[in-house]
Amino acid sequence: MHSIYARVNGISALWSTCVMVLLGAVALSSFLFNANPKGNLDIVSLKVFHSRTRRYPFRNEEIGFVKFNLSADFTPLFNWNTKQLFVYLEAEYTNAQGVNNTVVVWDRIVRRKEDATIDIVQKDKYRLRDLSGSFSNVLPAQYSLKYNVMPYVGVLSYGEAARTAEPIDFPDARDSVS
Amino acid sequence: MTIQELAEGRIDFKGQKTADDIVRVVLITSTFLSFVVGFAFSSLMITMSMFALCTVALSLVVLPPWPMFNHHPVIWLSAQGHSQK
Repeated sequence: MHSIYARVNGISALWSTCVMVLLGAVALSSFLFNANPKGNLDIVSLKVFHSRTRRYPFRNEEIGFVKFNLSADFTPLFNWNTKQLFVYLEAEYTNAQGVNNTVVVWDRIVRRKEDATIDIVQKDKYRLRDLSGSFSNVLPAQYSLKYNVMPYVGVLSYGEAARTAEPIDFPDARDSVS
Repeated sequence: MTIQELAEGRIDFKGQKTADDIVRVVLITSTFLSFVVGFAFSSLMITMSMFALCTVALSLVVLPPWPMFNHHPVIWLSAQGHSQK
């Protein structure tokens, strides 16, 4: 502590410890808030169409279109350590090969508390496609609304806000109208 | 006062002890206080800016060789028995 440089050294040594303690306390504090918002999710319609694949010119595949009705209030998830939310709608099904698939159909990033109330009737952002190219013989799918809380400091946390009451059958594929 | 003395900013032993105590007390209490105040206002912005302001204020108090850190200069014994050697 005798010279300016020694004092800079002394301050910064304790300062860095204090910053780590402060950030650790902030990260731990988000465990004090355990909001568990619940919402409603209804699948309005699910249509499957024959289509050409984009990447392979001589292969056909089926594409599923989902229209859904979704309402949920995520405002309780916003505490002092919440940076943003990632809200997504997942389709879960077992395909004809017996593989469990979870496919994100729709998502949204919520950056502000004011935007955290979601009440929409909307079509999917991302089409449903299966690697096998077909939805025949596929078991009925469950749909769930999930969220991912991203904090400023600390660990990501995940949760499920809504789920369809019963699994929904994939209809037979029809030829494209247009 | 030479340039080297200005740049070094030396303080005496008692001053070093005082500076060290000030650093410890201020940094630890400001960490605690900024967490509590930020939590109360539920804003990380308040926490971080309060901690930063405290650090800047602390540096202003402790880094320069203020006269209060130089009140107890070391008094050396006068040279004696020079002729005996």
